[in-house]
Amino acid sequence: MAVDWQLAAFLILSVLEIGGSIMVVTAKKLVHAVFWLALTLVTIGGIYLLFLSEFLFLIQILVYAGAVPVLFLFGIMLTRRKIMEEVTPGEVLEGPGEAPREGLP
Amino acid sequence: MSGALVSPDLFTLCKVLITGIMKIQSDAILAGAPVGSPVEPLRGLAYFLMEDWFLTFNAWMIAITIMVTWAAAIQLLTMMWIERKFYSRLQDRYGIMISIWSLPFWPFSWWAKRRNKPTHRGLGYLQNVADGVKLLQKENITPANADSAMFHTAPVLIASSTVMIFAALPFSEGFVIANMPMSLLFILAAFSLAPLGILIAGWASNNKYTLIGGMRAAAQLMAYEIPLLLAVVALLMYAGSLNVIDIVHKQEALLVMLGPIPIPAWNVFSIPQFIGFAVFLVAIMAEMERIPFDIPEAEAELVEGWLTEYSGMRFGLLFGFKWLRALAGSALVVILYLGGWSGPVFVTLTPAVGATVIPIPIIPHEVWFLLKVYLLFLLFVWVSWSVPRVRIDQILNIGWKRLIPLSLLAILLAAYLAALGPALGGIR
Repeated sequence: MAVDWQLAAFLILSVLEIGGSIMVVTAKKLVHAVFWLALTLVTIGGIYLLFLSEFLFLIQILVYAGAVPVLFLFGIMLTRRKIMEEVTPGEVLEGPGEAPREGLP
Repeated sequence: MSGALVSPDLFTLCKVLITGIMKIQSDAILAGAPVGSPVEPLRGLAYFLMEDWFLTFNAWMIAITIMVTWAAAIQLLTMMWIERKFYSRLQDRYGIMISIWSLPFWPFSWWAKRRNKPTHRGLGYLQNVADGVKLLQKENITPANADSAMFHTAPVLIASSTVMIFAALPFSEGFVIANMPMSLLFILAAFSLAPLGILIAGWASNNKYTLIGGMRAAAQLMAYEIPLLLAVVALLMYAGSLNVIDIVHKQEALLVMLGPIPIPAWNVFSIPQFIGFAVFLVAIMAEMERIPFDIPEAEAELVEGWLTEYSGMRFGLLFGFKWLRALAGSALVVILYLGGWSGPVFVTLTPAVGATVIPIPIIPHEVWFLLKVYLLFLLFVWVSWSVPRVRIDQILNIGWKRLIPLSLLAILLAAYLAALGPALGGIR
């Protein structure tokens, strides 16, 4: 039984990559999208490795997996979109379940 | 000359070992299942055990297991023990002292009672094992509003990227899993994967402290990655190779005789590389998140930083990974600047087994390497328990405004001296 392991690896990597890149554009939360982007970039690095270009693979990991998603995350977090499901104190007080307290400042 | 215990390399050693074991099993099966006997189909199993791909696969598995056990279990415990013991001594106390006789079950408790052994006056080496067992027993709590999938992915991401370093990090010429032509780049790439995991861990906990801690950690790690890599670029002008084993070989040459003592050509003994060494030392300390640069998890202001919400063994994994990174970082400094595993060997034992003489070095390469790593780690511990914490803006200022220009200066000097050093009378 001769299994073409390279082909198998290529197929697995491509499936991960295509799935990851679809998830990048469909993910609801931006941080999830960045996570999927990192996965996509790493699998692209894996495909470079299959082409026997190790240097490109390592640079891909170093730059595109280590640095670029972190920069994206910084961008997302610093632009102050709603990044956590945080409840502001005002919402809690005016919520339906909470009776308005009197006498409090 | 000196020698390594593991030679020619770990994989070959494991291959010989597994081939011997499988040969014994295969021969036993073949002897027990002669042709024509009712168990004859077992002969197929015997031939399968001796197949080359099976042996190779098993040899790789054993090599990886040996390396992970060695690095992630034994060395991790040793590093934690060194740190706890040493900072206790710096604070004028004894530190952990639980001895093995305090174990509350049969041989130990019985022997301790019989021989009146002191239970709390030992080395304390097993204290970290006890702490690990305690963490294993604790409940894993996931915060109610946390992003569960990401929260559970982050420790895996961080721990696996850290263990990945040890695929290429050599403890001696032979004690390495994969000797790649670009292993230095591989180690640095694996080192640089952690900030993503840290940021995700901080975000997914859905807690302001962890988010601030994660942001700070990522900002700091990103800022210090650049001087780290630039210092390595300056080093590569001299080394001319991205393979860590080649880099160490290059440093084994003789620099100068200081009386009777030969001084090896370690990279730290040259002018530009010394600047690079200083930059690398500070940057790797920041990468390890040791105390002058531990603002991402400053206990007094951020509880425990980005790992506040983790509990149980997830916390243990993230907590232990810091020491694994410290081990990898110290090992990297030793390999790049301090001559790696090269060192004098005083006497070599040569026992004769039959007709062949096997030389066994009394101080093998691995011991020299570990000695240097431990000494460097002691320096790190000393610094981190003696100086106050640096503020986050100061950390980034040091990284961007001081270390990057210094490392650029190191690159310039290294390029100049690598080209013109021989013409200037051998200045390096």
